[in-house]
Amino acid sequence: MSDDLLNILSNSSKDIDNQKLMDYLSNKLSAEEKHEFEKILVDSDLASDAIEGLDQFKNKKDTVAFAEQLNQNLQKQLQKKKVTREKRRFKDGVWIYFTIILIIVILLITFFVIFKFLH
Amino acid sequence: MKSDKYNDITDAELLQNFYKDHDNKWLGILLPRYTLLLLGVCMKYLKNEEDARDCVQQIFLKVINELQKYKVDYFKSWIYMIAKNHCLMKLRGNKNVSVELNEKIIPAEEGQIDKTDFVEKEALLIKMQRAIKQLNREQQECVNLFYLQKKSYSEVSEITGFSMLQVKSHLQNGKRKLKLLMGSA
Repeated sequence: MSDDLLNILSNSSKDIDNQKLMDYLSNKLSAEEKHEFEKILVDSDLASDAIEGLDQFKNKKDTVAFAEQLNQNLQKQLQKKKVTREKRRFKDGVWIYFTIILIIVILLITFFVIFKFLH
Repeated sequence: MKSDKYNDITDAELLQNFYKDHDNKWLGILLPRYTLLLLGVCMKYLKNEEDARDCVQQIFLKVINELQKYKVDYFKSWIYMIAKNHCLMKLRGNKNVSVELNEKIIPAEEGQIDKTDFVEKEALLIKMQRAIKQLNREQQECVNLFYLQKKSYSEVSEITGFSMLQVKSHLQNGKRKLKLLMGSA
């Protein structure tokens, strides 16, 4: 009991496990697991707000499907950004090589003209 | 989900890896950890399933863009702040909301008390008991039932007659007050 009293102020540093979150919402956790999970909720505004919101979905199973859909869209978005960045890098690269070649050509022409002029 | 082999990597490590090589694959592992949580937060504020889903997508986009611009120390608190601000902006019709986004959020301190010294422990116990008595009746009741008798929210709610939201609020406020009392006494 004394340890419980002293531990009131300790913060739960555990990350929320999504499966446990869904089990909590579906009331599948044992009394002990529920209590441990709720200790995390007391310390985490994010988790606390999330539970409140997820509880408002008409069908809990839909939330998992929505999350999967969002994750798929996220991966597509990240892939698109990667391709855009690589294209931009390639374009920048092309311009740099073009500029270098142009400078070399100008130098060669200048050298040729000066050489011709001197002779 | 491809995150199985990365389950043991912490958020901080994933972010560190991202800042090293700016490879979006690290964000592709980090952000899905928060999808369900963000969906819940958005639903709490917007109270509409479709709006909540759209909101999460927008938050992801914002997060991806902001992470390119500056380093974030405490990702969980930061993404929560981004989500809340975004929801509030939507509710206020995209007017400028003067909520300061402070990414250098200091996480709650670990309040683990060193229990090795018996005399010190006794003193702390007495201090804690006195501090609990200074809480209001509702907070005391909830703290005792939840932390000492290890009841769940629903059990505390049944016993006390408070709603679940009230139980949560009393626990959060009670704990906050105890921290102040234990820190200042």
